[in-house]
Amino acid sequence: MLKLIKLEWKKNKTGKYLMKALIVALLLCLFILALAYLGIANDPDTGVPDAAPGKSAISSPIELFTSMCCLIFTSSMLSSFIISPYMDGTMSLMFSYPIKRQKILISQMLAVWIFSFAALVLTKLLLYAAVLAGSLLKEPDFPIDYSMTSPGFYLQLTLKSAVTVSMGFIALFIGLKMKSAKAALISSFLLIILSQANVGDITLADNALFPALLAAVSLIFAVLSVCQAETKDLM
Amino acid sequence: MSFILQTHHLTKTIGGKDLVRDVNLHVKQGEIYGFLGPNGAGKTTVMKLITNLWKPTSGSVEVFGETLFPGSYQMLKRMGSIIELPVFYEHLSGCENLKLHCEYMGYYRHGSIEEALELLDLTAAGKKPVRSYSLGMKERLGIARAVLCRPELLILDEPTNGLDPAGMKQIRDLLQALCSKYGTTIMISSHILSEIESIADTIGVISHGTMQKEISMNEIESTSLAYIEVTVANPQRAAYVLSEKLGLTNFRLNGDTCFRIYDSQISTQELSKALSLNDVEILSLGRRNETLEDYFLKITAEVKDHVKAD
Repeated sequence: MLKLIKLEWKKNKTGKYLMKALIVALLLCLFILALAYLGIANDPDTGVPDAAPGKSAISSPIELFTSMCCLIFTSSMLSSFIISPYMDGTMSLMFSYPIKRQKILISQMLAVWIFSFAALVLTKLLLYAAVLAGSLLKEPDFPIDYSMTSPGFYLQLTLKSAVTVSMGFIALFIGLKMKSAKAALISSFLLIILSQANVGDITLADNALFPALLAAVSLIFAVLSVCQAETKDLM
Repeated sequence: MSFILQTHHLTKTIGGKDLVRDVNLHVKQGEIYGFLGPNGAGKTTVMKLITNLWKPTSGSVEVFGETLFPGSYQMLKRMGSIIELPVFYEHLSGCENLKLHCEYMGYYRHGSIEEALELLDLTAAGKKPVRSYSLGMKERLGIARAVLCRPELLILDEPTNGLDPAGMKQIRDLLQALCSKYGTTIMISSHILSEIESIADTIGVISHGTMQKEISMNEIESTSLAYIEVTVANPQRAAYVLSEKLGLTNFRLNGDTCFRIYDSQISTQELSKALSLNDVEILSLGRRNETLEDYFLKITAEVKDHVKAD
């Protein structure tokens, strides 16, 4: 399986995704630093951060923007690793190899998942560390509500990242069903809205059950995407 | 008789329509099997079923003596194929595409990629991205990939599409060399009958999704009909002379003015004399043998008539 994953990375020139992920991480870092230290979030009238209730701490925008970027990035990678091969015919080439089709699809999904997960965790760590480092020089506009010395911080960061990246499988399933990379990307946008947006005080982002539910749904969609590969005709 | 590939009552139905129906074909080990049929006859469908890309609605495929099931993957290691147009990772070079193919096939032999590229005259283009290749180059790269791992069975669906005459000859020579040197069995479909005629040992003709005939080239040659072809200025009068004056029954009009006379009792001399005496102007006259093209057209025309009658 590891060999297949490596081949997927090689085949899809993952170096270019690495470069893109790096650029996105740096831009996010600049944006979050600006948000935290240049008073961009401050209401001009009151002089306090203009944030939704419960979202006034710095971890909220970090989670929101990293998740948003990551989900779109993951969906775009899943599209070019899995959906596009169905469209351009290279999947029929893959299915002509003496390898179980489910194994091929799982390796493609894992290749994206591992890359996106690593990218998201590292980006989040960079952002949290940058804000913390900045706080040594200047008082941030948003209160810092995390401690990078606590193991709970890393556990939470890892779990949240895993759930966010896995949500890409829901977008993948929709993209595969509709045979469209665009459908996958639009689905990922809708998933972000569903998981991160708020209507007044109502939001699913703080719901403890919601990530677990999303993880379960993502897993089901991942299984659905591969389960019929052995018996279904490749049209 | 040792068959490396057989299908038994192979049927594929999609959306209530039979794409192929009750196809039985038999490919002997070490031969070149020409699979002929007009466009839409079901050649690609059969090839997709043989390579396990599609699953049969009923019937079965037997490859290397084993029945093909949805989970039969190991036998794909012994097969090379091009189904429809060869597809590649266009952003990768030809060489990188072949390397990937070897990795997925689990085939490692030093120098095999360079050898395959050289065999298909692609050495110079090997390092260029496939997106810069012409259609003919892609076809050749597809063939290089199909033969790269020295398969025992090659399934080639119209592999000479987009090739110039020199390229076609090169592929023809390559296939014959693979067959004679390595004992590779080749199943090749093509609509260019002269291409198949010069290399195939056995011919399978499919039309309207059903197998019409399976016959060896030797058999075609030995049973092929000799006939007299005569082109005349006034075909109606000529038809009258042939049937009424000469009493011939086995002849047909091929085109507007050309007759083919299959009756063996009449000579060209007698025919010429009879037509001249009855004021039928002869434009050309000669004795011919049926080619594979004639044979193919005859079979597919019979099927067309039959389908129309149904």
